[in-house]
Amino acid sequence: MTALLRRVDPYLKIEAYDPEAELMLLHFGPQHPSTHGVFRMDLYLDGELIVKAVPHCGYLHRAVEKLCEKLAYVQLTPIVDKNDYVAPMTNELALVMAFEALLKQDVPRRARWLRSLFAELQRVASHLLAIGTLAIDLGGALGGGTTVFMHCFRERELILDLFEAVTGSRFHYNTHTIGGNRHDLPEGWAKQAKDAIRVIRERLPEYGALTIENRIFQQRMQKVGVLDGELALELGVTGPNLRASGVDHDLRRDAPYAAYDEVKVNVVTAQTGDCFARAIVRVKEIEESLRLAECFLDGLPEGPINGGKPTKMAVQTKVPVGQTYVGIETPRGELGTWLVADGTHTPYRLKIRPASLHSLSALPYVLPGHTVSDAIAILGSLDPIMGEVDR
Amino acid sequence: MTHEPAAPAPAAPRPRTVDDGSNFRHPLYQVLLDTPGLTVGTAAVDDLLTWGLTNAMWIFPMATSCCGIEFMATMASRVDIDRMGSFVRPTPRQADVMVVAGTITTKMAPRVLKLWEQMPEPKWCVAMGSCAISGDFYRNLYSVVPGIDTFLPVDVYIPGCPPNPEALMHGMLRLQEKIRGQRHGKDFAPKPDAALLKITQPSIPRLVEANRPADLSAAQERASDQPTVDEATPALVVAPEDAPEVAPLVANDFEGLLKEVGVTELPKDGPPLVPAAHHLELARRLKALGYRQLVTIAATHWLAGRGRKGAVADEVEHFEIAFVVRTVGAGSRTAAWAVRVLPGQPLLTLSGVYAGADWQEREQFDLVGVKFAGHPDLRRIMQAESATSFPLRRDHPADAPCAPWR
Repeated sequence: MTALLRRVDPYLKIEAYDPEAELMLLHFGPQHPSTHGVFRMDLYLDGELIVKAVPHCGYLHRAVEKLCEKLAYVQLTPIVDKNDYVAPMTNELALVMAFEALLKQDVPRRARWLRSLFAELQRVASHLLAIGTLAIDLGGALGGGTTVFMHCFRERELILDLFEAVTGSRFHYNTHTIGGNRHDLPEGWAKQAKDAIRVIRERLPEYGALTIENRIFQQRMQKVGVLDGELALELGVTGPNLRASGVDHDLRRDAPYAAYDEVKVNVVTAQTGDCFARAIVRVKEIEESLRLAECFLDGLPEGPINGGKPTKMAVQTKVPVGQTYVGIETPRGELGTWLVADGTHTPYRLKIRPASLHSLSALPYVLPGHTVSDAIAILGSLDPIMGEVDR
Repeated sequence: MTHEPAAPAPAAPRPRTVDDGSNFRHPLYQVLLDTPGLTVGTAAVDDLLTWGLTNAMWIFPMATSCCGIEFMATMASRVDIDRMGSFVRPTPRQADVMVVAGTITTKMAPRVLKLWEQMPEPKWCVAMGSCAISGDFYRNLYSVVPGIDTFLPVDVYIPGCPPNPEALMHGMLRLQEKIRGQRHGKDFAPKPDAALLKITQPSIPRLVEANRPADLSAAQERASDQPTVDEATPALVVAPEDAPEVAPLVANDFEGLLKEVGVTELPKDGPPLVPAAHHLELARRLKALGYRQLVTIAATHWLAGRGRKGAVADEVEHFEIAFVVRTVGAGSRTAAWAVRVLPGQPLLTLSGVYAGADWQEREQFDLVGVKFAGHPDLRRIMQAESATSFPLRRDHPADAPCAPWR
């Protein structure tokens, strides 16, 4: 165990370590190494133990940052929807908050509450998908693996139905705009949402029984892929992955945005930093997010949902000269926007700070010393979304 | 009887195969035709095979992005494509249909083609979603393939961004129809609409920039894309021991540290500009002060005559590299600073202070083209390693039609 816990050298010179070239080089990916998108790792194997791991990303590099320089500010929300395609609501939020910061645009209270409500529901949907795909990654040991997946997607559909009722789209919502929201809640939505929350809450023990109370699941996950908290901070790992390493840090509580300063956010942490801790944090966060969503639903204030100035054409929205960074807590961690505006109708430079890229950068530190089957569990437990990694 | 010289033997006919397009007939086929009543039997067998083919289409998921999630939803509880005999088989050797769900980039395209070639015949290809069909609004960007039909034969196109699970289901039903029709000799050759073929632009038109001359010739654009000699050699890095000696900083807050390095007032138009010599020491001190989390590194390319205040007449071309770090826990604060470097001039790497700077600096090197001295592993990260351009430079063309990958 101690060998696994010490810091490994990610820059190990493989020629010096293995002059006889006896190690096996295994290309892991890029076609779906697990259910987490196109990603490749070069694994140097000694028997079945990984000696060195070299991740390669960029297989879904869609040039979003270049595209953002060529479109007007109000045209960008549907573009960034596609980055973290499991949580589009929070993508939009991080983007429009950066624009609002430079425009010094106020957002009405109802819009802020709606944004938080959507973000929490999105977190539930995203974590459900993360747990479901993690179970598939672990494979046959979990009753065919697809059992948990089917359960999770059943509940995820409930939330997608809610979003579809508001925005008309299953995902890629394009509902946040500068100064507020585009869609208000339709008639009877609150009851539908309450029902969905109640159903998911009733079924949560099922996930507990299938995953974190399952002995096979525990044996595959416990003491595997231990990520040290201090290293995680240095690497910029955020979100559930950081909190599973014992660091009590959540931007919803520590640097509140939208309506999070008006409610109490309980931060879920775990101490061990292994794959099991990351799974536990996600399952517990679903519970907490359901509570928050209910809270935002009950206290939803009346009023306008958009405080922005209406413009006839997209190019009329001009952001004044300045540079800003805005980060929010998405299901995968801190998603930020570094915006450089030069006073025109398009951003001069827009850098999206993805949470998943930083999570993946822990792999060269975590993987050595594990077996190939552990590598899949570790990759699955980090919950990366390649659209966000590569952009 | 005269002996005539033997006529030269006629050239041996080229061995015919089924694939060469000529009217090859297997000798057994004639026997089958001549046997009375057998055609009825073979037709029945053929119908049986067609029934089997259409109702057991095992899908190889070439799912790369958003459409892949809808693809998963189609497999999952509510829609459940299993009931029409389609089943996900994530190995090309045991699949009939490749569903390309998501954007295919120039880096991924060779892999997609290879996997397609590994699938045994008969095989079909479904393009799911507008990215796979045409590239949609990513079309004409430097890294995106404008539609997979530039290198794969596509049987069914399913439009949508992303298509709903029901749409994918419908597409699979249409594919079944197509297979049935083809087995009965029906012509399914595509009849493309000439008007649609003329569309070469992305679905959302890009805006022309006022500050960039529109009549920049193609040659000029290519020239600005070429790396200069010293940029092309990644070995050009300053060894860390050559770093200038600076006095250690002692202040206990960010403002104090900025004063120490000579920044007296915070600029309103961006993060404070710190002299490159003090950059590393500032980061080290900030980390000791509790800014333990590296948030992001973002480099901006400013063309000559432009700067953070807008148009500045005597400004030279330069890069501004911004760093953001964060304290952890309740009341989390960020600290941001920027360093200005000239083209070709490297900046000392932060990866010795924050391990996460490694990938962040690689990304800025890959896309913007700034170099980091002493970086342990400065390689491209997003683009293929053979790439030569730095696309996030402002003079890199954004709307250059990307040649179809072949």
